Amino acid sequence: MAAVTLTNVVKRFGIFEVVHGANIDIADGEFVVFVGPSGCGKSTLLRMIAGLEDISGGDIAIGGKVINDVEPADRGIAMVFQSYALYPHMTVEQNLSFGLRMNGNPKADTERRVKRAAEILRIDELMQRRPKQLSGGQRQRVAIGRAIVREPQVFLFDEPLSNLDAELRVQMRVEISRLHKELGVTMIYVTHDQTEAMTLADRIVVLKAGNVEQIGAPLDLYDDPANRFVAGFIGSPKMNFLSAKVVETTNSAAIIELAHHGGARLRKPLCETFPALGAEVVLGVRPEHFFEAGEGDCDIPVKADVAEHLGSVSYVYANAGPEELIVEREASRQRASGDHFTVSIKTERALLFDKAGARIR
Amino acid sequence: MRTQNATAYRFLTPYLLIFAIFWIWPIISSFIISFQATRTVPWRFAPTFNWGRLIGDPAFYNALKNTLLILVIQVPVMIALAIVMAVLLNSPLLKARGLYRFAFFAPVVVGEVAYSAVFRLMFSLDFGIVNKLLESVGLAKIDWFSNVTPAMALIMIAVTWRWAGYNAIIILAGLQSIPEDVYEAATLDRVSKLRQFFYITLPLLKPVIVFCAVLSIIGTMQLFTEPFLITERGGPGGGTETLGLLLYRQGFRSLNFGYASAVAYTMAGLAIAITLVQLWLMREPK
Ligand SMILES: Nc1ncnc2c1ncn2[C@@H]1O[C@H](COP(=O)(O)OP(=O)(O)OP(=O)(O)O)[C@@H](O)[C@H]1O
Ligand SMILES: [Mg+2]
Repeated sequence: MAAVTLTNVVKRFGIFEVVHGANIDIADGEFVVFVGPSGCGKSTLLRMIAGLEDISGGDIAIGGKVINDVEPADRGIAMVFQSYALYPHMTVEQNLSFGLRMNGNPKADTERRVKRAAEILRIDELMQRRPKQLSGGQRQRVAIGRAIVREPQVFLFDEPLSNLDAELRVQMRVEISRLHKELGVTMIYVTHDQTEAMTLADRIVVLKAGNVEQIGAPLDLYDDPANRFVAGFIGSPKMNFLSAKVVETTNSAAIIELAHHGGARLRKPLCETFPALGAEVVLGVRPEHFFEAGEGDCDIPVKADVAEHLGSVSYVYANAGPEELIVEREASRQRASGDHFTVSIKTERALLFDKAGARIR
Repeated sequence: MRTQNATAYRFLTPYLLIFAIFWIWPIISSFIISFQATRTVPWRFAPTFNWGRLIGDPAFYNALKNTLLILVIQVPVMIALAIVMAVLLNSPLLKARGLYRFAFFAPVVVGEVAYSAVFRLMFSLDFGIVNKLLESVGLAKIDWFSNVTPAMALIMIAVTWRWAGYNAIIILAGLQSIPEDVYEAATLDRVSKLRQFFYITLPLLKPVIVFCAVLSIIGTMQLFTEPFLITERGGPGGGTETLGLLLYRQGFRSLNFGYASAVAYTMAGLAIAITLVQLWLMREPK
């Protein structure tokens, strides 16, 4: 078992820098998820840890030892690929044991490890099949099994579930979580699915265009995002952003006026940053934080456009001037297109960002 | 659906007609002719005339022996060479890949007569570059055309030169269909590049290699151009005469169509038999 530390890690492909100095500390036994939109450098970071891409700058340490120049096979890692990367011409059993056999591992030990992996993943019955005779979920299990038999200190997953259908994805998600508890080793998991990130992670690393935007526990990112990007990325449906303007400042608060909601005003207590009078700001409110009229500090009237009824809750897409808001409401069949209703914002449930997206608190 | 098919067949008619006249009919006709004595006029039906002669004909056994010898040496060497060429072509370190790909494929496009003439020049006893090179490194020059062993070697070299690149291009396509991440997984499994080649690349290329081998076997069974043009009609003294050449000699020099047809059917039969054995040997384990 081992901690993983990335210090000022840079990656360049030719002249293009795609990772700009990442600093990430991953504790021993932690489950860390890298999330971010497509192309932000998640896979690149993971592949650098694995040794499949070389490191253009900075250091990566596993278990306290810098491994920049260590062979991939000697880093104590195992990787599960998005496309499974199983050896197509080998049976499941051969797939699991191949690496060990090639390295002269004692036969009895190889058998023991393969058997254990098969038990953990419940693939005992599939041992004599070939990859093309397996379903997507079974292939994914075999790929994870191949990682388990290496008994690595760190597991690396690159979007392992993205080729599976929704139901299987949920099921495998639970299994990976269980695996982490059972093995207790460090796991680094890449996904662009924020639900996966929220449910699996001890801590989430949010990446954007090669920069680490924020690192934190799922609920910390949810409750206390460092900037507008993280606020918008974590949470589903997305946070609503309402444009506003600072109309009055005191030494402990700013009073803002929403731009498109009939001059509605809100007093936001602040302690760190104080925006200038007249500054344009953005107010972030999650769909579930719109309260019934009068319950909050600032009421805004909206007009329902479309409603999505998911059973437990409904999401109402509502218009207010040029802004479209997503409002979560208890399941209700009544809300129909064209209805006017009023929602209320509570100051403590609203986040303030400056024009550039940095948090104002 | 029906009318659609009918329309399709009407469009196909010109092709089907030509196919029937110039392909199907000769195949059937030569089968019938192989059971006829064709040295007499009119030809008469004599089922054992040609086939009986074939079984006892030393010229046939000589041609058969030469053909099979070329087959068992040239085909494996060429396929091995083609695999090496394909792997080199696929290497990310290679610069000017397109140029090499063209160069490897070019021999197939070159006219047979031209290429044979060039080979005759290159291997000529006194003026050929090959003998000059041999002498320059202190070896004795070889009389490629008057001795059987060098002449056979020459045929094999020529055929290999002409078809190795073609097979390499086919194998290259197979190589490129192997996903990169399988090799990455193997690298993480601490499997060296060489072992990756033997344990991953080769097994995954098997279908393509079998395909190339089958094509090459069929081609070599019909080998004609090289012994005809380079070693001058199977010389020296029939030492490089192949079944294809025997067929030509019987059919078009002696105008013995019956016997030539029997030889043709033997060639086809052998090619099919060898291919079936090959496919059976290389079958997927269940
Ligand atoms: N071999 C390469 N050569 C050049 N650029 C590359 C290479 N691999 C990746 N990149 C670039 O690096 C950036 C990060 O790529 P990466 O694959 O890490 O993204 P990602 O976050 O994993 O995205 P996705 O969610 O789509 O998998 C992208 O802009 C990509 O175009
Ligand atoms: Mg990726």
